Amino acid sequence: SNCFILLLSVVFLGVSTQPITDGRLFSIAVGRVQHLHLLAQRLFSDFESSLQSEEQRQLNKIFLQDFCNSDYIITPVDKHETQRSSVLKLLSISYRLVESWEFPSRSLSGGSAPRIQISPKLSELKTGILLLIKANQDGADLFPDSSALQLAPYGNYYQSLGADESLRRTYELLACFKKDMHKVETYLTVAKCRLSPEANCTL
Amino acid sequence: MRNVFEVMLLLLLLLLPLVTAHAGGQPNSPPGKPVLTSCRSPEKETFTCWWKPGSDGGLSTKHSLFYRKESSDAVHECPDYRTAGENSCFFNKNNTAIWVNYNITVVATNSLGSAYSDPVEVDVVYIVQPNPPENVTVSVMEDKGWPFLRVSWEPPRKADTRSGWITLVYELRVKLKEEDDWETHLAGQQKMFNILSLPSGGEYQVEVRCRPDHGFWSEWSSTSKANVPHHFRRDNSTWILMTVFFAFTFLIVAWLLHLNRHNLKRCILPPVPGPKIKGFDKKLLKSGKSNEIFSALVVPDYPSTPSSNYEDLLVDYLEVYVPTERELQLEESKDPHDDRLKSDSSTSDSDSGRGSCDSHTLLVDKEAKEEARQAECGQTRTEVQRSLKDWDALTYAQIDMVGRDVPSGRVKTWPSLYSPLPRHSSGPLDQQSSLQMAKQHSLSTSSFLAQEASGESYWDVCSHGELPRPLRAKTPPHRGLRARSDADVSGAGLKRAPAGPRSLAPHTSEYVEVQRVNNKDVVLLQPVVTGCYQALPGEVYSKVKRVDSDNILLLQREAREEDGYPGAEQENTTQKASACVYAAVLVQDQMAPMVNGYVDTATMCTLTC
Repeated sequence: SNCFILLLSVVFLGVSTQPITDGRLFSIAVGRVQHLHLLAQRLFSDFESSLQSEEQRQLNKIFLQDFCNSDYIITPVDKHETQRSSVLKLLSISYRLVESWEFPSRSLSGGSAPRIQISPKLSELKTGILLLIKANQDGADLFPDSSALQLAPYGNYYQSLGADESLRRTYELLACFKKDMHKVETYLTVAKCRLSPEANCTL
Repeated sequence: MRNVFEVMLLLLLLLLPLVTAHAGGQPNSPPGKPVLTSCRSPEKETFTCWWKPGSDGGLSTKHSLFYRKESSDAVHECPDYRTAGENSCFFNKNNTAIWVNYNITVVATNSLGSAYSDPVEVDVVYIVQPNPPENVTVSVMEDKGWPFLRVSWEPPRKADTRSGWITLVYELRVKLKEEDDWETHLAGQQKMFNILSLPSGGEYQVEVRCRPDHGFWSEWSSTSKANVPHHFRRDNSTWILMTVFFAFTFLIVAWLLHLNRHNLKRCILPPVPGPKIKGFDKKLLKSGKSNEIFSALVVPDYPSTPSSNYEDLLVDYLEVYVPTERELQLEESKDPHDDRLKSDSSTSDSDSGRGSCDSHTLLVDKEAKEEARQAECGQTRTEVQRSLKDWDALTYAQIDMVGRDVPSGRVKTWPSLYSPLPRHSSGPLDQQSSLQMAKQHSLSTSSFLAQEASGESYWDVCSHGELPRPLRAKTPPHRGLRARSDADVSGAGLKRAPAGPRSLAPHTSEYVEVQRVNNKDVVLLQPVVTGCYQALPGEVYSKVKRVDSDNILLLQREAREEDGYPGAEQENTTQKASACVYAAVLVQDQMAPMVNGYVDTATMCTLTC
């Protein structure tokens, strides 16, 4: 969070959108989302290994991951679509994805690392993406504020189900979280590479 | 007729399958269950699934793959069975969706039935396994004389790293051609790597592989080879090893030397042998004939008194009360004379060893000491006359230097500043004394101190109140010998020698040598050092009768005279003595019983002087 505050101050010091600032911000944001994705992966694998073997076989059959709370957000699902989307669109989609997990992530316990708090990390990431959006916004305001305020249609979905569904819900929660984090990571990486001057941006 | 033929043919045809079936031995059955082995995507844009068919049940079996995307109930069939080879299904870009769960099933069908495999959930994002890196080049380069390998490669053609769609990390491994074990290095996202640690020259083989940040490792690329010239590898670690080794060796050698330092000291710095006394025979000393030894040393005309007075000259010295310990064989092997002379080196002349008036040393017989010789430290001494008959009987007497409170017989003698106390085995005090035995001690503080450093003396250093080498007399205590000779006996009011250490320091270290004993059995003393030396006509020895309360030594002739003229004698002695005596002898109140005229000289005054 100190890092972000520093960047905020730098940006607000009247620096207009500069590619260099963008690149630095992008790197930070990509780093953070990578960390979150690794966290999500670890949570998921811990959960799977903690299940009994019987339930593990059932998981794929019964607990199909059909529903994610972020399904209402239209996201590009292949490379072609991703390449076709503008940087701003990618950023806004990432922002919404992260935002949609701010509340449900509170029920995600640390699992093997209880001290790790996911929700504040998501908040920080959201702030960073917002900065990037502001930095890349020029002219038309492609970022509909209304959608930001729009609550997830199934915001309380995971709280409404009964206790006996907790296993299934935990599985879905963890799987969806993992997937969404990877999406954000991919979008941010693609957006960063598109903006970076060097051709081979993965270096 | 032809009809029968046709019927038979028809029957045969009908029965043929049965026959063949029986010949095959297997009944037809529905196919076995196929198994989906793996699904892989090389670039996160397409993917392929492979399965393994079960038994075909003897009939031709057809396999087909069906999939269902998440959030949709529509079932689709595999679009491409051929591209990826046998028993595979290839999903092209149009049919591949990322972050979407595919539910895939394979069905095996034959004429008798069908079998379904277990469904598999696949998300393309997590099944990425790229192709190996391409264009792996290895070149040998040099850095400050040491060769190293530079490896460079390119990502697999299909993986789109440029747009950031897929991020790859690389790993390479290297080994010598003849080795078996590879050495792996992680290269991160870079496409070039330097291998610096080359153990030796030869042909090196390098391989590279890659992996997306969330996926599987690719296969190893094809081997690239490079020839490295031979070089001698010497780096810091060699120097460090050598330094440590030498330091360790040095420590061990130093430790061994330290353990053997005594031996080495003896070897390198042998003890300096003292000067030999002309005419002195060590063997005689060992044989124990003290008389003979000293007779060899005696200058004929010394002393000059007639031999009729020989026996009269015997002076009994202090009654020495010695403990039985025999460990004071300190200088058993040493030449007492040598020691004496050595210790006297500063002030004595290296004559035959007889105690001349000039010499500051006096060969003291312990027996003589035992004979009520008063031992003084740094004070005038009465002449001591002792018997050298039994040298072996001489032991070192440890004279108590502390004070009167020494109960047991510990006579400590002082170092051979005076003169060494020859060893004395337990034997009777020999009253006989030869002229040669009469020695006088003279002591000077300076020499005294100097002697102390010799360390080889028989006598303890008394002036310092320390007993560096306490000498235990070997004579048994039953002999009733007690010597109370104090280290510091100095008369009150007498002139004191300077520079003496305090406490038990002898205030004066001047001795008086007995000049003679006149016919009245008076001992004439004369100081040795200063100009008190007087050439008296004759030198006689006298026995100390007793010491009175005035701390005056009363001498008498042996068994001849009672204190006939104690007063006169006293005066005489005191007169003479006081002129030259620097210190007086304090006599302990308790005096040993006089045996044969032995005077038990009390402990020294030290503190009271």
